[in-house]
Amino acid sequence: MTKILKASLSALAVTAVAMSAQAAELGAADEPIKLALNEWTGQHVTTHVAGEMLKAAGYEVEYVTAGMMNQFQAIADGDIHATLEIWSSNVSDQYAVLKDDGKLEELSDLGLNAREGIAYPAHVADLCPGLPAWEALKDCAINFATAETLPAGRLVDYPADWGTPGADRMVGLDLPFKAVPAGSEGALIAELRASTEKKSPLLITFWQPHWAMSAYDVKFVELPAGEDACFTDPAWGPNPNAINDCDFSASRIFKAAWPGLKDKWPAAHEILVNYQLSVEAQQPMMGAVDVDGDSVEDVVAEWMAANEGAWKPVVDAATK
Amino acid sequence: MSAVETASQDQARRLQITRGSVAALLVLVIAAICRFWGEELTWLVSWPDALTVPMTDWVGAGVGWFLAVFKPIARVFSYLLEFPMTWVGGLLGGAPWPLILGSVTALGWLIGGARMAALGFFGFGFVVISGYWLEGMNTLALVAVSVPLAALLGAGIGIFAFEYPKLKSSVNVVLDVMQTMPTFAYLTPLLVLFGFGPVVGLIASAIFAAPPMARNVLLGLERVEPEIREAAVMSGGTRRQQLFLVELPAASQQIMVGFNQCLMAALSMVIIAAVIGGFEDIGWEVLLTMRKALFGPAFLAGSVIVVFAVVIDRMSAALAEPRPAQDKRVALGIFAIGALVAVWAVIAGWNPAGIAAMDGVADKVDHGVGQFTANHGATLDTIKNTSMFYGLLPLRIGLSDAVLPFTWGFAWTAQHSFVFYAVFAAIAALVALRGHLPQAGLVLIGAYVLETGIAQLPWAFVIFGVGAVGWVAGGRKLAIQVSVLLGLILVSGLWERALLSLYLSGASVAACALVGGVLGFWSAMSPRAWMVIRPVCDTLQTIPLFVFLIPVLMFFQIGEFSAFLAICMYAVVPMIRYTRHGLISTPEEMIEAATASGAGKWQTMFEVRAPYAAPTILLGLNQTILYAFAMLVIAALIGTTGLGQSIFLALGQADVGLGVTAGVAMAILALVADRLVQGFAEERKQALGL
Repeated sequence: MTKILKASLSALAVTAVAMSAQAAELGAADEPIKLALNEWTGQHVTTHVAGEMLKAAGYEVEYVTAGMMNQFQAIADGDIHATLEIWSSNVSDQYAVLKDDGKLEELSDLGLNAREGIAYPAHVADLCPGLPAWEALKDCAINFATAETLPAGRLVDYPADWGTPGADRMVGLDLPFKAVPAGSEGALIAELRASTEKKSPLLITFWQPHWAMSAYDVKFVELPAGEDACFTDPAWGPNPNAINDCDFSASRIFKAAWPGLKDKWPAAHEILVNYQLSVEAQQPMMGAVDVDGDSVEDVVAEWMAANEGAWKPVVDAATK
Repeated sequence: MSAVETASQDQARRLQITRGSVAALLVLVIAAICRFWGEELTWLVSWPDALTVPMTDWVGAGVGWFLAVFKPIARVFSYLLEFPMTWVGGLLGGAPWPLILGSVTALGWLIGGARMAALGFFGFGFVVISGYWLEGMNTLALVAVSVPLAALLGAGIGIFAFEYPKLKSSVNVVLDVMQTMPTFAYLTPLLVLFGFGPVVGLIASAIFAAPPMARNVLLGLERVEPEIREAAVMSGGTRRQQLFLVELPAASQQIMVGFNQCLMAALSMVIIAAVIGGFEDIGWEVLLTMRKALFGPAFLAGSVIVVFAVVIDRMSAALAEPRPAQDKRVALGIFAIGALVAVWAVIAGWNPAGIAAMDGVADKVDHGVGQFTANHGATLDTIKNTSMFYGLLPLRIGLSDAVLPFTWGFAWTAQHSFVFYAVFAAIAALVALRGHLPQAGLVLIGAYVLETGIAQLPWAFVIFGVGAVGWVAGGRKLAIQVSVLLGLILVSGLWERALLSLYLSGASVAACALVGGVLGFWSAMSPRAWMVIRPVCDTLQTIPLFVFLIPVLMFFQIGEFSAFLAICMYAVVPMIRYTRHGLISTPEEMIEAATASGAGKWQTMFEVRAPYAAPTILLGLNQTILYAFAMLVIAALIGTTGLGQSIFLALGQADVGLGVTAGVAMAILALVADRLVQGFAEERKQALGL
């Protein structure tokens, strides 16, 4: 773990120093900047690191709990000032509408390299020899079949409101699987947990960074690389008749803010724009919170103290 | 009973039979047409797309306009509401817990002596050791502000309906919609109107909690003795004086009952509103643990709500009853002890978040669920598959599609259909020969539904069938009402989803009626059984609904069966309660008469108690239906299809049009079911002379 941390530290330091930034005004430093806390731990880590950076710059910070899907109206109204971990794979239409109207400002990518894919808990490899190669799924689909999907296998897909990327893959690759929408993240986790406990077969659409990746030893199925052509040209890829016959395109994780942020707290705006966090930094902190049961505040404080080089330059560049 | 009366009753009965038979016959004809000519007359089976109107777009535009106009007013309102929110939140959150524990115990003493004091002490003591003290106080603060709001709103509506009796029925419809429209459907518009934060949750819970208050205020005012009213008129007061000085105080007992229900409703809704966030309350905590599928912690956090509900329910129920005055000095003493400990606590620097002494227990519970899943995986799968293959699937897509070689071992063919209908026709003939003509029709209609599947029923059959039931239950007016309401869903293009919802809630209600009826019957027969069943009912009814979803998901995974179970767990409670209540509240004279004429315990039960309890049991069924629809939306979190999912989708995408339309469709389904069952209950009541 320390090795990962060190690697991430140097990587972050490089990105931070390489960024050109000039000092800005602090602005209304006596009024608290409100940052949204959504429903998952990784986002809490991301937000608390940003919040501590703002505090180091001399700001007051308030953390406001907000539903991922419902926060955008609040940000447009200025009730919340920034949200720091939006996944392009899971963002409502409302976001695009508000952004186009100029009621939301998209800041920049967070630098968190996310990966989505078709996944399975490690023990499933015994039930379907040949995994992680995707071709193996063609022959063992029946092992994944359930009452609702017979004779096709069952793929647990994202909740319906996140889109249906898993179902699109199954159609694109012409795999005999029927996608079942999960309804919620809790349902996805319960599936992983039950499958691990029962040693039963499971194919699921999942993503990382996520604490469950290591907790349930989740592996990704190897699919043809997700190039742009795959999503537009049917001829591309193993299935000459369909698009989507490849892996997920890389999802973008980015930050957004209330448009007034720039004028009211110019230095904070600059800090949040330049703020970067890597998977290697976030994942161990997530584990410390979700698996070891430490509080987010303690874990983040510890990381901030041990990795000053990773965030201090960003704060200094904006304030000095 | 005189001969004339008997004769007229006989006539009435004959009339009912004919009406029922006519209705059954007409529906049967429609079913036969759909069954045999459905392939040619496709417009009878599935509603033509050309006739579907873009209802969701219209509603979206309409609501959007409304929001734009009223947004400034609403924002002022939410600005004003933030003051009491901050005050109460600061008071409850800032006070050290020994002080609040002492106050609640003292309050309990004042209300109901040592028993209530103990309830308050141990209840809030549990919250302290659960480690959710701060979250719990935030939840209480929300309730403390939303309940007065809901109570005022409800009282206003109730008085209005009393003063203008002509508008009473319209007011009733509004109250029904407030109660049956799923909260998730209107969270997005509320968010736009009132802005982000706890105010939205507050308003949502006030909307949901006001109707019981309104109904009870109205009922209380209507029940004021005419003599009291006349005395007020004679003493020459103005109308307002009569109302506020005489009639409302005279109705206070009933109003307190309403207040109690209002409190409970607000408490259950505050949790649901946590989905928006903005406030670190118990609901948010439950959502966080639910995302990690941790049953233990979710259950622990949920139990805090159960404790609040029980304490608040018992104390406010005690307020509604006449009670002896308690010694105030004892209350003062208890409060003083609490205050002293609080001062000492502050000096000693105690943890304001309470003592997290229950984490070990929560982990153990969680571990237990995991162990159970691991050890009984095969059994659980068998249960699930059997119920799917032989129960839910045939109900949804019909025997003709559900019977396949890998489910039942053979494929359904035309011959099977023939034999199937022949058997049912024989049963129907037997029933008809014994003189039960409508029941015979029902058997055949049931066979048709079972072969076709609820989700694939032709629209013409559904609307006509429901209309016919309405005609039997409450005459022509009801028949037209329910048909028009269902027609609205049909033209809005949400019909398929509505049928899926109907199937899932229908299956759950049927299972609940059976299981709940048996359990209620058992509880009525044996007080010891009731001692076990009652706390389970209390818990199931007040714990945040999300909590159920985790173990169900762990055992049976994503899918309809899990949703079915989750709905049943919640909706079975009223069936048990009302069945028991109906069976034990038979007037003593009737039982004495039965005993005197030599009837045994069981005979009394079936021939005296059961018929007398029928209207109450029907009311229980009515509640079970409403509960099932309410839970349907939550069950969408386990991945069901149908209206519930549409409402969630709309919430996620902030699609106001779809959310409101799907919510209204859900409310319509619930209203139709409610009106039909109430129609039958009314008819039974009249038949019993109640």
